[in-house]
Amino acid sequence: MDTLARFQLKAEARRFALGYLWWVVEPLLYVAVFYVVFVKLLGNQRSDFLVFLAVGKLTFIWFSKSINQAAMSLVNNRGLIGQVNLPKHLFPLSIVQEGLYRQLAVFAFLLLFVMGSHYSPQISWFWLLPIAALQYLLIVGIGLLAAVLVCLRRDFQMLIQLGTVFLLFMSGVFWDIRALENTELAGWLMALNPLVVLLDSYRQVLMYGEGPDMVRLGWVLVEALMLLISTMWLYRRLSFWLAQKAVTQ
Amino acid sequence: MTLENVSMSYPIPSGARGGRHSVFNDINLALSGGERLGIVGRNGTGKSTLLRIMAKIFAPSSGIVCWAPDTTVSLLSLGLGFRPDLTGSENALLACMLQGFSKQDALASLASIQDFAELEDYFNEPVKVYSAGMRARLGFATALKNRSKVMLIDEVLGVGDQLFRDKASAALREEMSEDRAVVIVSHAEAQMRALSTKMLWLGGDGKRALGDVDEIFALYNQ
Repeated sequence: MDTLARFQLKAEARRFALGYLWWVVEPLLYVAVFYVVFVKLLGNQRSDFLVFLAVGKLTFIWFSKSINQAAMSLVNNRGLIGQVNLPKHLFPLSIVQEGLYRQLAVFAFLLLFVMGSHYSPQISWFWLLPIAALQYLLIVGIGLLAAVLVCLRRDFQMLIQLGTVFLLFMSGVFWDIRALENTELAGWLMALNPLVVLLDSYRQVLMYGEGPDMVRLGWVLVEALMLLISTMWLYRRLSFWLAQKAVTQ
Repeated sequence: MTLENVSMSYPIPSGARGGRHSVFNDINLALSGGERLGIVGRNGTGKSTLLRIMAKIFAPSSGIVCWAPDTTVSLLSLGLGFRPDLTGSENALLACMLQGFSKQDALASLASIQDFAELEDYFNEPVKVYSAGMRARLGFATALKNRSKVMLIDEVLGVGDQLFRDKASAALREEMSEDRAVVIVSHAEAQMRALSTKMLWLGGDGKRALGDVDEIFALYNQ
């Protein structure tokens, strides 16, 4: 899986003149656009808004890109799937692994950007590791499921794309869950959408030097593990069916 | 490897509810080490599907397929997941690992793959600059590394120019040892006659016949 992921990254880097530099150029461009739109054009008053957005967006795209690419991983590898009896989870997992490598560079960029914005490194930053690990688990679970759905019906590709766009607006990338006046609503949003909890946790840790909400994170862990166990079971049971669907889709 | 009453059908997407297209029905055959089965049939009669069932990639709609304990099966194919932006050597490494090699064994096979494929310095260039023939030669050289007990070969005999084709045929014959079973699908009659010990004809609409080489070619050419 790891070899496949590394080779895929190598192949991708060779397609572009900037190669691996894109891993850092992309988040840099995001932050630049946010600066122009939200600070210069809209004149947002919140002084930490740029950091707030960068933390939200740069962790959210890890999720959205990985899910959209993992969703297509079985159908895109139909040639290989029709030739070799490989464990089918190899394909979505290698895509997620690819995303993880890219995200490591993004996290490095993000930390530098946060430090450059007058936040000094704190002990709470170590919380990044378990929060990112949790996000990774969630991406694996949802990515595996998304790949099966696209195998079942190609229409899920559109639904998943739209779904990640809706989640961009629903997960608190552009707004602060803690600023909602209706606390009951905020509680529901956090319970229903694990990304709200993850994004909020990143901000608590990086911007405010506080530990994350452990109870909420615990629930996200339970959800991610349940999803992971059930999708792995699905892959084991459906190996032949997935091959046939991917090849004849 | 034995097949008992193996049938395959696909649901018809645009057809009536529950409509199914039957590819083949009730195929019975047994294959032991040293035997070489040739499969002939027109396009769309299910030859590749049958190979995929034998290779444990698809499950049949009904019937039973059994493999002797510890039997490894693989479908030989040219250019297993070749990625155009990776070099020949990287693609060969990946293809070997996808065939079940450890990274170390895969690395150790690279020199002989480069040699057999006659790629020389091109081995370290991206596959996207290869000609179709070079790509096929690399694919064949990689596929030849396969160490499975049952080898399934789908139309890989017509590779490259005449010189390479002869070399490929010879190499393949060398691989066909006594303990190996081989299944070949091809339209090249001369090669099929030279390689097969028995043959299966798939005629579509459930028609099929198993027999010796002359018998089946007489039927197929009718």
